[in-house]
Amino acid sequence: MDTNKAKCDERGTGTLPGCCAPLAFPYVPVQKNDPERYSQQDALQAGTLFPGLNLPFHAQMKTKFPAVNTALSELMALDFAIDELGLYLTTHPEDTEVLNLYWSYIKLGREGREAYEKQYGPILQTDLTPGSFKWLDDPWPWDLEEDEK
Amino acid sequence: MFVYEKKLQYPVKIKNPNPKLAMAIISQYGGPDGELGASLRYLSQRYSMPYPELKGLLTDIGTEELGHLEMVGTIVHQLTRDLSEEQIREAGFDTYFVDHTTGVFPQFASGYPWSASTMQVTGDTIADLTEDLAAEQKARVTYDNILRISDDPDVSDVIKFLRAREIVHFQRFGETKRTR
Repeated sequence: MDTNKAKCDERGTGTLPGCCAPLAFPYVPVQKNDPERYSQQDALQAGTLFPGLNLPFHAQMKTKFPAVNTALSELMALDFAIDELGLYLTTHPEDTEVLNLYWSYIKLGREGREAYEKQYGPILQTDLTPGSFKWLDDPWPWDLEEDEK
Repeated sequence: MFVYEKKLQYPVKIKNPNPKLAMAIISQYGGPDGELGASLRYLSQRYSMPYPELKGLLTDIGTEELGHLEMVGTIVHQLTRDLSEEQIREAGFDTYFVDHTTGVFPQFASGYPWSASTMQVTGDTIADLTEDLAAEQKARVTYDNILRISDDPDVSDVIKFLRAREIVHFQRFGETKRTR
């Protein structure tokens, strides 16, 4: 008992599950560094950037994401990859390979954003829209346009 | 501070109205394991978290859940547009309609209004993170069940995306228990 306690004190606090608490904590294996990844379009379709975390309910069900390369779907895919990598880096901050990828996606995301805004209008209320105030223009994200009904 | 982006995280384009399906899916808007509870749970648990990666993860996932809330609201909105009185009665949508017309109200599939009693903020790191792991699995099951009863590929496509996110979030919450 005492040796155990000494070991715990040595290791300090904040390690979970630590030597003091090997039981009664749920265990989730940590994803390995620089894991296999999908392209950003495939990632948006799968709902995750990582094949290792793609565990579908109905494997036989075909996804039918409109694979047309509109400025919106490209921006969604880039922003999705950025969000997914941001979460990954929170628990893997030392993975420099993925950090570089994260930054390159952020650069692409900025370009995608400009392309989208030129074609469809502002994403942020503070985006500059020369000529008039376009923020309130339809469609809003939950609207269907006439040809989509 | 939050800033609104005028786009969804994933496209939602439902061609065929289906009020009966909407009444089931609304549970992921304001139900016991829905996206509203998820975002409030995570965004509220942040304040008592001792480590930066926990503050970061709860902020980012809590924010993503707000985006999912918007997607679920969009599904419900698009499933209940242009309804005739006959469709409303036949689908059993009249009980919802009498209170909310076709507005999107945060409620369980059973009609019970969203309740903070479905979530917890204990102020204890381990208890909160363990609740978060369970919450992701409960939301995943709800999406499984929606996939079981949905016969609309436009709806199932979006639900599959949301379901996949629960699995990733579960993984990240689990990993925080070993990053220190």
